[in-house]
Amino acid sequence: MYGGGGHYDGGDGAANANSLFGGGGFVPSQSTAAPESSGGGSGFSKASDDKSNFAINGVEVSTVRLVGRMLGKVERVTDVVFTLDDGTGKIDVNRWQNESSDSKEMADVNDGNYVIVNGGLKGLQGKRHVIAYSVRRVTNFNEITHHFLHCIQVHLDLTRPKPCLPSQINASTPTPGHANQAWPPNNQATTFSASGNTAGNDVSSLVMSVFHDPAIIEREDGITVPYIMDRLKLPEHVIKDVIKKQEDEGNIYNTIDDFHYRSAMNG
Amino acid sequence: METSSPAAFVNAEILNMFVGRRVRTVVQVQRNEGGMVVGQSPDGHPLTIKSAMDIPVSHFMEVFGIAENNQTIRAEVCTDFGPSFGEI
Repeated sequence: MYGGGGHYDGGDGAANANSLFGGGGFVPSQSTAAPESSGGGSGFSKASDDKSNFAINGVEVSTVRLVGRMLGKVERVTDVVFTLDDGTGKIDVNRWQNESSDSKEMADVNDGNYVIVNGGLKGLQGKRHVIAYSVRRVTNFNEITHHFLHCIQVHLDLTRPKPCLPSQINASTPTPGHANQAWPPNNQATTFSASGNTAGNDVSSLVMSVFHDPAIIEREDGITVPYIMDRLKLPEHVIKDVIKKQEDEGNIYNTIDDFHYRSAMNG
Repeated sequence: METSSPAAFVNAEILNMFVGRRVRTVVQVQRNEGGMVVGQSPDGHPLTIKSAMDIPVSHFMEVFGIAENNQTIRAEVCTDFGPSFGEI
């Protein structure tokens, strides 16, 4: 984990180091919330005239995940705003308070805490910010390392050219750069859009990410629905729907009883 | 979005490349000496963290700060990562 030299190309030191995170690693559109670093600004571009969508490394991004420290938390009547600092940059985050569970979630996090933010990336008058639908405090700090490794992996996956098979070239829709061949293999592959159909895939990916957490994947007994509810702060019926679907597809299975589940990818 | 003060991930070996710049790392606390923490870097070398908060020995501490030389970081922000970090 600590292969510090492995993070960089060496040479110019800080400039190279910052540009590595300046590219921003993420998996847009096809799977879970794109892991991002706040310093990914240099890689951003507008996907279209629609102000709500951005493109990073030529791929459209709508939902992102960020991990960093909360600063400047301000609780207002209908929302909570704060700045997220992840060491590569800072970005403003807005969390609307529609239900009591939203308020409870935000009451648990304070200035200086490390938090995981899932939300939509938005732009207004040239400034980017995040409209969060989930903000939870980091309790296992390995999640910070895991997040940055995920950013790097996805960034490299999207920017490195991949060999193309003739059938793929003929069948693929023309897209900028290598984006079409650069998708990491993922059984959640589904296109995101601004139409709102992505919510189910977001939740499914979030639930599976809990199963694949290195701290969880080794548990022989697996985990339960209440545990996932506590981790993700999502309603029970939403998680149960995902569990049933994943079980039907063979991605998870029961362990010690009907209430404990474990990922089939447990090595 | 502001990217004006990013911090580079460092270990002891490459800290000298970032003297005077903002860096970040995680050390395992070996001893506290009145505002100064001596910890083991990720690559196993001792680092001195100035202005560090009081964190128990053997806990892991993340530090953001300015590299003063190849063995010293002047801390701006410290976070206690607890006694088990990076373990599988």
